Amino acid sequence: MSDQTGKQLSKEEKDARFEAELLPVLDPLYNFAYRLTLDEDDANDLVQETYLKAYRFFDYFEQGTNAKAWLFRILKNSFINEFRKKSKQPAKVDYSEVEGYYNTDDVEGESGVASTTDMRTESVQDLIGDEVASALNTLPVDFRTVIILCDLEGFTYEEMAKILDIPIGTVRSRLHRARNSLKEKLEKYAKSMGYNS
Amino acid sequence: MESKFTEAYPKAPDEVKQADCEKVSGMLDLIIDGEASSEEKLYFNHHIEECVSCFENHQKQKLLKGLVAGHLKRVIVPKSLVQSIKAKIQETL
Ligand SMILES: [Zn+2]
Repeated sequence: MSDQTGKQLSKEEKDARFEAELLPVLDPLYNFAYRLTLDEDDANDLVQETYLKAYRFFDYFEQGTNAKAWLFRILKNSFINEFRKKSKQPAKVDYSEVEGYYNTDDVEGESGVASTTDMRTESVQDLIGDEVASALNTLPVDFRTVIILCDLEGFTYEEMAKILDIPIGTVRSRLHRARNSLKEKLEKYAKSMGYNS
Repeated sequence: MESKFTEAYPKAPDEVKQADCEKVSGMLDLIIDGEASSEEKLYFNHHIEECVSCFENHQKQKLLKGLVAGHLKRVIVPKSLVQSIKAKIQETL
């Protein structure tokens, strides 16, 4: 990527294109960051850093190509290269929270009155969503990543391979293992709720 | 009928079926992710019409994908984030 000057954009052009082409990806990008870091402040920092880099390297972004995949790739690299190192706890998974969720019977007997009433007013849809989130959050970050990219954001295997810098075969096998893991966790939950899987 | 050679060592039907099932279960992700070729789709659909266990596995895998796609709540982007991004860009130019 040496002499790829293309057309040097004026600052106004650059700002306008940046806003029109990259800022619309903010929502999925923030959601991705949140699912990686499991923390809103960290997600905020990561997204800001990503856009800052994207702005700096905007000349390398070819207009009309996949802005979303490009930004996701930058974010994922930032997460791996800098963010994980900076963060004091590399794998932030709050197991106690998840465990608490599974053992609701115990909670009910003790001081969990308030949370139980909240649970009743919550719709079934929300409960399923919370359960999926809890299960997903316990997966290793590499597994979580492929599931988010594929099932939530609808990237193709080829796009995922580019975002993650891995061969398509690895995308497939990782996705397969990730789904098996997620399935196992959710089946445990389904059984505890009295459903037969 | 014609080939005496292959008929001499026919595979047991169970064996054939098991090999098919393995092939089909290896295709599950491709199918639900819309990444299968039309040949693979044809093979797959033909198989699950006759094989209950693969049919059920397909249903389960679709359900799993649907749980993430349809039920995982999206987090709301903080209102201040766009402004922070723009500000950060301007100050580090
Ligand atoms: Zn089968």
